Amino acid sequence: MEAAAAMDHHDQHESTGIDHRKLGMWVFLSSEFLFFGALITNYLLYQGQPGFARPYPAEIYDIPFTSFSSFALLMSSLTMVLAHNALARHDQHATRTWLLATAMLGSVFLGGQVFEFTEFVTVGGMKLTTNPAASAFYLLTGFHGFHVLLGVLMLLTLYGISRRQGELSEASGLNLELVGLYWHFVDIIWIVIFTVVYLLAGVPAGVG
Amino acid sequence: MATHPGEHHHPTPLQYVKIAILLAVLTIIEVALFYVNEAADMGGWDAPLLIILALFKFVIVVGWYMHLRFEDSTLSKFFTAGFILALILYAIVLLAFGVIALGS
Repeated sequence: MEAAAAMDHHDQHESTGIDHRKLGMWVFLSSEFLFFGALITNYLLYQGQPGFARPYPAEIYDIPFTSFSSFALLMSSLTMVLAHNALARHDQHATRTWLLATAMLGSVFLGGQVFEFTEFVTVGGMKLTTNPAASAFYLLTGFHGFHVLLGVLMLLTLYGISRRQGELSEASGLNLELVGLYWHFVDIIWIVIFTVVYLLAGVPAGVG
Repeated sequence: MATHPGEHHHPTPLQYVKIAILLAVLTIIEVALFYVNEAADMGGWDAPLLIILALFKFVIVVGWYMHLRFEDSTLSKFFTAGFILALILYAIVLLAFGVIALGS
């Protein structure tokens, strides 16, 4: 049994010397640049096209509110890396605390996004089909929000495993590292979205 | 727990907090730049400044929080390749549709 486990552990490293699950995660994240790049480009193509019903997304952005939710997501990267650090120090209690804090900050971001969408539709009057820029905006930020939701579920799963088993095993430790990589990636994608879509947003000439 | 190449070089919790403070300050500067440009047109300087700040935040998170600067260079190559490929591909699309332009 131990020999089989050792062989399994050895097989995870392949010829690169890198755990292939970790390599797979980095390659997956790299491919996600193409996915989110397509959605951001789609938004940039439509945001400046005149002749459609208003409002355009840039006319109704609430920058202070979005800055706050961006800050919450940014700080969740800190709590995530502190969870990883705590596990490396074999401090199971701190690991659980930071995991829960990360999930909570992610939930704050998601709550903010739900509130933002609700305000845009009910107060701003910008529905999914109001204009192509609105559709592109909801598609981009909605897919990012979906990624955050998946991250929160993975974090809570790790937290649940840790609570049930009393500690995170070595295998779960790698899972925490992989979830952490995913979580930080979601954060860096938001760094780009916040700058390009919110702060550099434009409206067509003659609008606004 | 298995050690990873260069793991002993990972930042301490205090250093992680300092990095977070830096990220927060950069975000504040970004938002401030947005409002400065709203109040008094910066003559097109807001875009490059905001992109540089975002890129700086991006590199900090990838390098320190994702530990890429402490990892095997193979991982950096895979990750950077995807980023640069996406950047070139979508820059061509935006240039082709006239959303961005080279020169003036």
